[in-house]
Amino acid sequence: MNEERELAINPIVQTSVQHNTQVVSNIRNLTASLFGVAAGTLGLESYPGFIFYLIGTFIVSGLVFVFRAEGKPSEYFHRPLGDLWGGDVFSGLSSFVLTWTLFYGLVRA
Amino acid sequence: MAQPVVQTIHRDPALFWWILLPITVVMILTGILRHYAMILLQTAPKKQMLPQIRQQRSLVRGINLRTNANILSPSSFQARKVFMVSAYQDGKFLADPEARGKPRPNPMSDPAAMEGMMGMMKGNMAMMIPQTLIMGWINAFFSGFVIMKLPFPLTPQFKSMLQSGVGTRDLDVRWVSSLSWYFLTLFGLQPVYTFILGSNNSASQVTQQMSQMNPGAGLMGPEQDPDKLFLNEAENLEVLEHRWILDGVEDRLLARLSA
Repeated sequence: MNEERELAINPIVQTSVQHNTQVVSNIRNLTASLFGVAAGTLGLESYPGFIFYLIGTFIVSGLVFVFRAEGKPSEYFHRPLGDLWGGDVFSGLSSFVLTWTLFYGLVRA
Repeated sequence: MAQPVVQTIHRDPALFWWILLPITVVMILTGILRHYAMILLQTAPKKQMLPQIRQQRSLVRGINLRTNANILSPSSFQARKVFMVSAYQDGKFLADPEARGKPRPNPMSDPAAMEGMMGMMKGNMAMMIPQTLIMGWINAFFSGFVIMKLPFPLTPQFKSMLQSGVGTRDLDVRWVSSLSWYFLTLFGLQPVYTFILGSNNSASQVTQQMSQMNPGAGLMGPEQDPDKLFLNEAENLEVLEHRWILDGVEDRLLARLSA
């Protein structure tokens, strides 16, 4: 009940939430493709490639945290931990695999 | 145990220009085509008569009153509630008041319901037909040889699918034929569509599924009795616990200022 009242006093506007999610997912998709290009050019195979992707997304999360959210993620995200750090990690994986395969095939194999 | 020998296959560089690039370009273009085909196929909403619109809107009005009730002061909420409930119970907003209490006609015979189903069919067809066509095209032209090596290992179960038409038993699963490039593009091109067409395009599957769940359609479908919906809404309004948002606002303001 208390939380409900808090939400009524400080409402969360759905449009803004959608816009924030859109911005973050755009950044994630673009960087995932670029990480794929990098991993393919470096010739990473199997586990190192996926670890490269995980490290890359973590760095991107940090950059979003510092530059886009200005160090205060609770002002931009409903649940900062899930939406910024954890949520979108695997959404860019398919485009990462696509560009990774393409550039690996072009450069190495 | 000795390390397994790494298999290498020397391939013609022309494979890239004549297979990988065409498949990718075709996939992107089909996505764009699907987007515009969906826009063209969308039927314009039918023009409704004034009583129907009033019936629909007044239900929405009740729902809006219920969801935003806390913003209103108690007296003004009471006045609105009394008006809406009595109007609902008298059936003032009904499109044809004579039909009250009569059984509804069979939804299958209603042309409006059929149209909704047709729209859903069209959406599914716009997904299915290009996929079948492209799979057939790739199978017809590009099967029977490997074109690329995946950078990650797969289990041998994928061999029959990804190396279809390649008749070598001992070839590493990482060497795949063009069909797997098709699958990779199918799943990996969603962000490309987002960049080209904007965020609510109908090229990707997920957004299309979401758009089929049209929120307005289920609200007052043709198969539902508007009178029952009105009575239901009146009951909802009656039992609503009203809590004004400005209750105790002075204390909150003072607490914030003193903090």
